Amino acid sequence: MSFKRFALRAGAMGIAVAMLLVTAAFAPAIAGESKEIVYWNIGTESPDREYYQYSVDQFNANTQSGYTVSAVSIQNDTYKEKLIIAMSSGEAPNVYSSWSGGPMIEYIKAGFAQDIDDMVKASPIYPKLMDAAWAQAAYNGRIHAVPIMNISISGVFYNKEMFEKYGIEIPATVSELEAACDKLVENGVIPFALANASKWTGSMYFMSLATRFGGLAPFQAAADGSGSFEDASYVYAGEKIQEWTRKGYFPEGVNSLSEDDGQAKQLMYQEAAAMLLCGSWYAGTFLADSPEFYQKIGWFSFPAVDGSDADTSIQIGTTGDQFLQLNCEGEKLEAAFEFVSYFSNDDSIALLASSNKIPATKNANTFEWDPVSQQILDACMNASATQLWYDQYLPPAVAEVHKDTSQELFGLTMTPEEANAKLQEAMQAYLNQ
Amino acid sequence: MEITRRQTLRVQRQSQTWTAAAAFLAPVLILLGVYIAYPIISSFQISLQKWNGISADRVFVGMANWRQLASDAGFWAAFKNNVTIMILSILVQLPIGLALATFLDFGGRRLNVFKVMWFVPLLMSSVAIGFLFRYALATNGGVVSTISRLFGGRNVDLLGSPTKALYAVIGVICWQFVPFYMVYFMAAYTGMSFDIFEAATIDGATRGQYFWRIALPLLAPSVKSAAILSMVGSLKYFDLIYVMTGGGPGTSTEIMATYMYRYSFKNFNMGYGSTVACGMFILISVIALATMRLINQGGDRA
Repeated sequence: MSFKRFALRAGAMGIAVAMLLVTAAFAPAIAGESKEIVYWNIGTESPDREYYQYSVDQFNANTQSGYTVSAVSIQNDTYKEKLIIAMSSGEAPNVYSSWSGGPMIEYIKAGFAQDIDDMVKASPIYPKLMDAAWAQAAYNGRIHAVPIMNISISGVFYNKEMFEKYGIEIPATVSELEAACDKLVENGVIPFALANASKWTGSMYFMSLATRFGGLAPFQAAADGSGSFEDASYVYAGEKIQEWTRKGYFPEGVNSLSEDDGQAKQLMYQEAAAMLLCGSWYAGTFLADSPEFYQKIGWFSFPAVDGSDADTSIQIGTTGDQFLQLNCEGEKLEAAFEFVSYFSNDDSIALLASSNKIPATKNANTFEWDPVSQQILDACMNASATQLWYDQYLPPAVAEVHKDTSQELFGLTMTPEEANAKLQEAMQAYLNQ
Repeated sequence: MEITRRQTLRVQRQSQTWTAAAAFLAPVLILLGVYIAYPIISSFQISLQKWNGISADRVFVGMANWRQLASDAGFWAAFKNNVTIMILSILVQLPIGLALATFLDFGGRRLNVFKVMWFVPLLMSSVAIGFLFRYALATNGGVVSTISRLFGGRNVDLLGSPTKALYAVIGVICWQFVPFYMVYFMAAYTGMSFDIFEAATIDGATRGQYFWRIALPLLAPSVKSAAILSMVGSLKYFDLIYVMTGGGPGTSTEIMATYMYRYSFKNFNMGYGSTVACGMFILISVIALATMRLINQGGDRA
């Protein structure tokens, strides 16, 4: 009899423990309606971490709303996946970053980003930020996000000392660029530092070449279905990439080098490579890593394609690096909006500028910039249009194919025709849905 | 009177045993139900839907995802890569593991240093190994390139080459798992009576004869289960490849699990991602069961 009693007691305890575990697993879901605004960002490294934290601290210290913000920093590479998992399990954060484009539209469609058009237009931050930034935060003509952080456009960083040593002038056309590259190859220097295991890094070349060849129209037409990725611009871009790969313009094993491990910038620091085509955030990266090295760096916008009449003032990139979506209602939404407004106040913007990042504000020109950043800012201000990164603009499923095919181009494992046909097929499949 | 009482006691004890068994198993069953059975059933449900993974809007599409899977060249290319990994894993890991275990078994305590040294790779997490080998196999300054240059060769691009990347990754997988099979076979050796070795030696068997004629046949059941373990492991492999190549360059090291991940979490297509996951589940189950059957039949005949 005593055994039975023991067994029952043990069993009851077992079940109790199990129930506890199960409830513990679901506890965060139950605690949803609190006075806590959960804010997800990718600020795991300086200087971005300090910039995010500044607004969080300011809001928490000054707000009258009764809400507090708790920030969760997640490493960039896994951020998007974690966000999707949180959304599908009903634990989506109240404020979170996206990079606009395709994924932001998915979040909006799924109901995880509020329409804040009226709120924004009535607020003092609306006139502060550049119009182009708000345009990127809009979906169906209504603003759904608040742009924060810096302007990022793609361009070529180069080592001024090396250019001087080999007698190279800043190239104005692609054929001049190729002549410069040939001279560098002859002298045993890698023309372009590129780490293409990350895939989006190689996409920069594809976008730049195609945009300088045909301007904005071919991409817009391809993306809305009226045109095609088999357009001459993309054939040109693919062929140039393969020609450059064959001529040794990129480091050996380019598709195995990882941008996340900093393998491209290492080639620049070792002075094994002379140029790097990437986003303008690199100005901040170079400066943070070594102010001394940054002195050697110059910048130019991607040169014109010979014989093309495409507008060379067009820049590729984003006005405002991140876009904050708000996922809450009523009072909490107002508190969340108050919080995100802190990112655009004067101190916050000054903090951003002090880390050499160009804010997407109309007063960006009033700060003091070093020559490289000033050039980048001028290019932004003079741009007739800004083309958002292809891999952000395209719907995620198509963007993945674009990144794969661009990597295959660098690996010489697909011809430009095959790569473009595959991309077009993916685009068509999306449009047919 | 006496008999009835005994029966009652037996019945009572039986019922007590049942209660105890149920009570002790309950926590495990609940956990298994919540974390294994429910997700599997739910995956099959989602595989019949068109769902982006985040919205409340799920559309039932019947077998559309499954039809797409059946004719999806990308998925079958990934499956083929899995099969390559599986075959090479079994052909490389098991013999080396067995050889090391045999060596250690013959050598006894003197070889404890090797035992510890060879065991180390298994103690590292796959992600750490992935990072480590990404550097070790780098084209510029990696181990292989450096050795090749030492002998006047050129840099070797392993992970960036579509033809070599898969084999480079398989090499790393083998490096990681050989110690596991070594320990596994060492345990099997421990289970064998020392008398057998003694008897064989008295009968004049050399070490080679002892291994091939006596030890190996006795180890056959362990080899069979090791083969099944390695097979299932290779078919559901994910972490190391995800860290080392992410399925690239292009899609040359894409395997079923990375393919599933790509659709579920990158392409916003949870419906199709779940179909891939269920397809994996079915393929792995069928292959594992069929192999088990085949191996056991062979065992009966022998």
